[in-house]
Amino acid sequence: MHVLKAIYGNFKKYQFLMQQLISRDFKVKYKRSTLGVLWSLLYPILMMLVMAVVFSKMFKFSVPGVNYFVYFEIGFVMFNYFSEASNNGMTSVVFNFNLLTKVYIPKYIFPLSKCLFCGINFLLTLIPLLFVIIFTGTIEHISWYYLLLPVIFFFGFLFTVGMSFILSTISVFFRDMFYIYGIILTIWNYATPVFYDISIVPDGLQTIFKLNPLFVFINNARDIILYGNCPSTLNLILMVVYGVVFLLIGSIVFKRHQDKFIYYA
Amino acid sequence: MIDVKNVTMRFKMGIDKGFSFKQLFVNLLDPKMRKNKTNEKKDFYALSDISFHVDRGEVVGIIGSNGAGKSTLLKIVSGVMKPTNGSVSVHGSIAPMIELGAGFDAELTARENIYLNGAVLGYSKEFIDSKFDEVVEFSELIDFIDVPIKNFSSGMIAKLAFSIATIVNPEVLIVDEILSVGDIKFQEKSKNKMMSLIQGGTTVLYVSHSIETIRELCNRVIWIEHGKLIDVGPADILCDAYFCSQFGLTPQEAIAKKKKEKEEKNKKRKQNY
Repeated sequence: MHVLKAIYGNFKKYQFLMQQLISRDFKVKYKRSTLGVLWSLLYPILMMLVMAVVFSKMFKFSVPGVNYFVYFEIGFVMFNYFSEASNNGMTSVVFNFNLLTKVYIPKYIFPLSKCLFCGINFLLTLIPLLFVIIFTGTIEHISWYYLLLPVIFFFGFLFTVGMSFILSTISVFFRDMFYIYGIILTIWNYATPVFYDISIVPDGLQTIFKLNPLFVFINNARDIILYGNCPSTLNLILMVVYGVVFLLIGSIVFKRHQDKFIYYA
Repeated sequence: MIDVKNVTMRFKMGIDKGFSFKQLFVNLLDPKMRKNKTNEKKDFYALSDISFHVDRGEVVGIIGSNGAGKSTLLKIVSGVMKPTNGSVSVHGSIAPMIELGAGFDAELTARENIYLNGAVLGYSKEFIDSKFDEVVEFSELIDFIDVPIKNFSSGMIAKLAFSIATIVNPEVLIVDEILSVGDIKFQEKSKNKMMSLIQGGTTVLYVSHSIETIRELCNRVIWIEHGKLIDVGPADILCDAYFCSQFGLTPQEAIAKKKKEKEEKNKKRKQNY
């Protein structure tokens, strides 16, 4: 119990720093652009549109029984959050070495603040997603299960933070990870049914595909939004396990190695 | 207040590439090379077995040549680095002024950087709010407060950084030669500010190459050379000895000589009475 208390105390102490780092990311990102923070909204909308049109009109992808736009965009938004946050989280420690070698700051702040920053962007992309849901009529499936969505996002967030901890630790000792992870992300993107339906995957591979953490999160959200169903118990359990276990592993790996980071600056 | 016990800091030399595929192939093809390579990795002791104690309210200087390990020692005391062996305990809030302007972002304005850098140094929002005007006034940058600091000259950035770093009233102040910042007028001002901080009863650990300042400010001096503790003692003797050692004497000889000189002086004074 006192461990949790200590963690909370530490959060509280560095909350202002975290806030400052996140607001710096926002300011720096949009400083020179005329539309500013509006891009946070506009960019994902336009990206979603382009991708959705490409996949539905040019490649003629479709998923039986549901609106393909909504189907695609749920996966797209969630996968994008993960890839952006974990990628930024991975590089955050190395990119902030100039700070880490000068003053004492708990190092977990950097991956965590990146995940939060991308999280805020993710929440903004939910607004256009909501519009798509309303305009395509998918809103008719609305149910009390919508209240589960924040829970899904929360565990997705925990999973992402855990991954960022692991990746940032590896990349301190092994910078090649920057490039390797880019490739891993691309493979992961295609291996996750974001723009195709899981049913086109060969039978032998389906179990493996279904165990993919990102697919579990995306699938749970799709069950709720597209069908108005409650996600299966198995998937809900998997979701919690992935979130908690990855966060734990990540924290342990990070904590165990963080004192050595500074020698690799 | 500050307790440093048997602190040893070991760095591995040539840490840049612990492993590379090129090396792997070379090793496979040529077993002789493998032996050479493993021998090449030497340990470097930046500090070995350093112990000292600083009491509340003491002003302690650290002297030693370039590369003696002074900055490493400060970084260990301030918690940036963890020592390989030994332990450090510090009671009270620390304000490390080791490198100024940590976390400045060139794209942000001076105003935004005051908050960002303040947060990095561990100040609370309320604290920065209350001291904001003071910082701006001290830095003499009131006209440029909303300009991104990438347009600042290096002197202006240094002035801003100094002003932020010195708004605190810490219990332990750790200073690494940052007095000579800005133009002459600002140098004078910043020196006075540092003096008032140091003389305000805080515990200070102070690194400088300026023997004069050390002599002026410090009660005691820690002298380290090549990562080893030479002596801890009264500022005047060690400062003189350090000065002598720069001209050929070994540290031990220099200390012995200066101690003798002082004793003789005291004797003479007594005889004169």
